[in-house]
Amino acid sequence: MTTENSHKTPSYTITCRMSHEAAALERLCQVVRIRGFRIAKMAVESSIAGADEILEIALTIQGHRPVAMLQSQLEKLHTVAEVILTAPALVPAASRRA
Amino acid sequence: MNGAQHILEAFHRHNIQTVFGYPGGCIMPLYDALVDDARVEHVLCRHEQGCALAADGYARASGKLGVCIATSGPGATNLITGVANAHRDSIPMLVITGQVPSALIGTDAFQETDVLGMTLGIVKHSYLVESADELPEILEEAMALAQTGRPGPVWVDIPKDILLAQTTAMPNSPLAQPEATCPDVGPAIAMLRAAQKPLLYSGGGISLAHAEECFREFAECSALPAVVTLKGIGNPGKHSAHNLGMLGMHGSRAANRAVDECDLLLVIGARLDDRATGKLDGFAPNAQTIHIDADAAEFNKLRSADLTVRGDLNTILGELTRALREAPLAINAWRKQCQIWRTTGGFQAADNEEPLAPITGPAFVRQLSRVAPDDTIIACDVGQHQMWVAQHYQFDHPRHHLTSGGLGTMGFGLPAAIGAQFANRKSTVINVAGDGSFMMNAQELATIRRYNLPVKLIIMDNQCLGMVRQQQELFYNNRESHINLDDNPDFVALARAFDIPALKIERTDQVRRGIETILAYNGPMLLHVAIARQENVWPIVKPGGSNKEMIDETRRLAADKKEMTA
Repeated sequence: MTTENSHKTPSYTITCRMSHEAAALERLCQVVRIRGFRIAKMAVESSIAGADEILEIALTIQGHRPVAMLQSQLEKLHTVAEVILTAPALVPAASRRA
Repeated sequence: MNGAQHILEAFHRHNIQTVFGYPGGCIMPLYDALVDDARVEHVLCRHEQGCALAADGYARASGKLGVCIATSGPGATNLITGVANAHRDSIPMLVITGQVPSALIGTDAFQETDVLGMTLGIVKHSYLVESADELPEILEEAMALAQTGRPGPVWVDIPKDILLAQTTAMPNSPLAQPEATCPDVGPAIAMLRAAQKPLLYSGGGISLAHAEECFREFAECSALPAVVTLKGIGNPGKHSAHNLGMLGMHGSRAANRAVDECDLLLVIGARLDDRATGKLDGFAPNAQTIHIDADAAEFNKLRSADLTVRGDLNTILGELTRALREAPLAINAWRKQCQIWRTTGGFQAADNEEPLAPITGPAFVRQLSRVAPDDTIIACDVGQHQMWVAQHYQFDHPRHHLTSGGLGTMGFGLPAAIGAQFANRKSTVINVAGDGSFMMNAQELATIRRYNLPVKLIIMDNQCLGMVRQQQELFYNNRESHINLDDNPDFVALARAFDIPALKIERTDQVRRGIETILAYNGPMLLHVAIARQENVWPIVKPGGSNKEMIDETRRLAADKKEMTA
């Protein structure tokens, strides 16, 4: 038997600011994946701040695990300066498969 | 100076005197620089995995940074298991690999692998150096990062042209570490005072934070009944009256019972991993939890905490001790109850009285514990012998017990013992291995011989992969699958081939003499201990089961008997 909730995966938007070092994006994506989330949408912009090149990343992610756990793991990354989480929304299963 | 010389300069600045490595094509400039450097002792292991695990053992035993070096491609990939091992147990490690020249990266060059990409999940951080000028600063940052906060391995991958390039760049002066401030421990004290049955639960974070003394002081002052994780063994010291031993899958009945009954769990420097907690639903069902750790990402990861305190464990433990010294906890009834469980539910193993009886694992380890000097460092491998050591050896300090906790790396013990012996030249260092584990890094016998390290090697040989066999017996209807190792080599002859003396024992009456012989020998020596194939580690919790459902030998035999008569 399935419930309405089992058809829906919570979705979150995370904005992340990090240094633009080698493998910066891979590192971020690896943490998102291993901590139980999948990336539905990703937008990246780079900018220069003083001597540093900064990446601003907006991620829409989906997953059933507590997103605070992902946030604290992302914040641990040495190159990540800031992680901002916006409120979750439930995404129907059909759009998950898209 | 070229890039390679900058690496050695960084070692000198940080007083790194011992490194473990293996040369090859792309790291050759560093090895060339080593020729002219008398201040860094380079230990040549016989496999890069041996280098990484030796660096790990060095760091665990000393509390200092472990350093390992390898070339690109297979050199780097061979390091991976050792680095993952360090990552899972938060061991401070600097990993340096050569990489193909910058212009060849991405061309599938000879011995090229994408080291940065393939190691993202097993490092605290990693760098691919892109210019010689940035190398000194990266090295400085890498060494600081590996050792601060929650420690871990940091990998620096350096293309060969950068190792050869001249640079005058110098690292910035290290930033002064801010004085550790203490978070408010008032709420934790209030919860402790309100509890009737509080229990202290400590893990590997204590020694990672160099907080052994503060912990010991707190444990003694609070007189809280205490349990430890595998990596926390030794935290309370071997004379602690309140220590109930290791909890979890192969924990003591006393420890698991106390966790089950307590009303407050004070978790310090532990991550509540699945081998310790068993099924989470049934773990400490009546308890509130205070979780104290250096890493906020561990809070609420598996078990929700009622109170979290993040910070330097030395500072926090100091504050807790001060508060409890002023007004001790009134929990005598609970202490008395835990003492009863300690007496009746601690780890027990009958000493064999029959001289000709076969040797049993627990009895052997208990004898070893009685005979070995107090400052002995035991480097375990992974399997049944690892659990027998955890259960029956009396450790007085967590740095005396080197064990692969998070990753469970077979083959850890021998190279880790090598690292530990370099870190503690005068201490007795013993590798306790199983026959399966020993064969995974047996090539490092050559390293022991080359440096004439007085490491003692004990192989508890049951001619099978005992822990797998045990689980197949108990949880897979005794369907043994690919665990048979009865074609092991003659371990005595193998040791002798490396010019290491060895002897074999098979009977109970040979145990004490065998142990005394290897300990008294001035140099490396191997003791081959034949033990019964069918012996199991008791008690055991079924993987995924609740710690309440421990199975011990008596219950198992009773269940078998019932089944037969049914």
